[in-house]
Amino acid sequence: MSSHREAPGILKDPTADNTDVYAFVTPNDTVTLITNYIPVEAPGGGPNFYEFGDDVLYEIHIDNDGDGKPDVTYQFRFETKNTNPDTFLYNTGPIDSLDSPNWNRRQKYSVTKVTRRRGRFPRWKVIGQDLPSPPCNIGPRSTPNYPALAQAAVKTLRSGEVVFAGQRAECFYVDLGAIFDLGTLRPFQPAHLIPTARADGVDALAQVNVHTLAIQVPISDLTRDGSVPRDPMAREAVIGVWGAASRRKATILDDDGPPRNAGPFVQVSRLGNPLFNEVIVPLSRKDAWNASTPDQEKRFAKFVARPELAKLLPVLYPGVFPNLAAYDKDRADLLAILLTGIPAGVIDGFQNFTGTTLADELRLNVAIPPTAQPKRLGLLDGDLQGFPNGRRVADDVVTIELRAVAGATLPLVDDTFTPDGAATAIEDGTFPPNRAFLDVFPYLGVPYAGYDVPAS
Amino acid sequence: MKPVTRRSFIATGSAGALGVAGVAALGSPISLAAADTPELSDSEAAALERPAVLSIRNARAGEVELLVDERSVVFTDKQLVARMLRAGR
Repeated sequence: MSSHREAPGILKDPTADNTDVYAFVTPNDTVTLITNYIPVEAPGGGPNFYEFGDDVLYEIHIDNDGDGKPDVTYQFRFETKNTNPDTFLYNTGPIDSLDSPNWNRRQKYSVTKVTRRRGRFPRWKVIGQDLPSPPCNIGPRSTPNYPALAQAAVKTLRSGEVVFAGQRAECFYVDLGAIFDLGTLRPFQPAHLIPTARADGVDALAQVNVHTLAIQVPISDLTRDGSVPRDPMAREAVIGVWGAASRRKATILDDDGPPRNAGPFVQVSRLGNPLFNEVIVPLSRKDAWNASTPDQEKRFAKFVARPELAKLLPVLYPGVFPNLAAYDKDRADLLAILLTGIPAGVIDGFQNFTGTTLADELRLNVAIPPTAQPKRLGLLDGDLQGFPNGRRVADDVVTIELRAVAGATLPLVDDTFTPDGAATAIEDGTFPPNRAFLDVFPYLGVPYAGYDVPAS
Repeated sequence: MKPVTRRSFIATGSAGALGVAGVAALGSPISLAAADTPELSDSEAAALERPAVLSIRNARAGEVELLVDERSVVFTDKQLVARMLRAGR
């Protein structure tokens, strides 16, 4: 999956497991930033439905000067309360508003903005307090008119940001069962070492939910000079984005009372580009990667330069990737896409280069406006607003990255290389996904209801 | 011998205020030989309500990490480390 349960440590801690990050330009000179948590929520998973962690610090980081360190951070902290101590139920009647007395288990959250400038102390400002997180989508009796109920939790802050924190339908799509069954790729199943018949893709994340943190921010709040860049080739037009979750260094479990925490926050999950920790970083290093920060990425660059998957493809599909098999240089295309951004001169009218510091960040050129006709393969199909220029909610990042690893993007930086025909034919096979995105913030679809999609 | 209390252990084993918070990690009162200690002030006693953890980072060097609130304080106290290790035998 993009980053769902992608490391041995974090798979045991879903509340802090950052599953996906999205960053894209939205109308009125804004950027929408989204990080998702709690992978593969079964919609019927009651009576203790999913929720954010009061003991987790959730952060969205923005690097606007290319040093791999955050210059702007939005922190989200939650507080949970039971309103009725005498029931085991999440709700004791229909929840028809965010202040319904029938709703027993409630979460509120605060948003803190941290700004850092070189040579100065960080500035911390609480920009939102007592913000409501909506209940989970339970079913027609408990949460009637869920779309309106959840939309009421979209709040505009005094400082100009728009925020939402709550359950959403999973929008990432992938044929997980095929990919992790010894790298089964469509349409080449018959050419696999262990061949099978061709078959349609199976979306392993259909009809599950996640918990979403979304914030829409004026572009001028994120750029290094406070401007709204119009020239895509300008340095200040590019920002790098990643999400992170941290827990306190120590937790004390007593035989009476709730757990107590002590010490500073320690990062347990992070995510910039989809699938980075999932398929680039070796299993033995994944937990260490989750605890590290983008400015330390040099330690992991060798896994990008010589990705294991690129070595496996010619082995798993004999004769299908001969040019890839023969290529014996570092993958400058992947180093650029994932760790530095694509410099000017590679794609006409485009760059998202942040400098020579290697850092896994989702790089977004904010001077490229939203397109009316997005293409699922994004930059690979000439759509400059799509992944890997940031990431929109419907971008087919699995197919894009599979093709890139298979060599489709290598000619951008090495004109001696001719991609194998298969490199541009690979499909994840799950598009179009069975999803209903929203046209407005928070863009991710209404979560599946437990009544309609019970836990299996 | 006078019985050792939680407070007396902490006061004995601590380097000034740093040791106050170690109580939470150690949990129940511990019997130690060295028990002749001053009582804590009210403000020090109040600090005991906050969750805190003492962890030995390097026993030979006597390096201890105190986790309290959202802070980490590293200090050196070989005597404290020795007492903690003996208590844990």
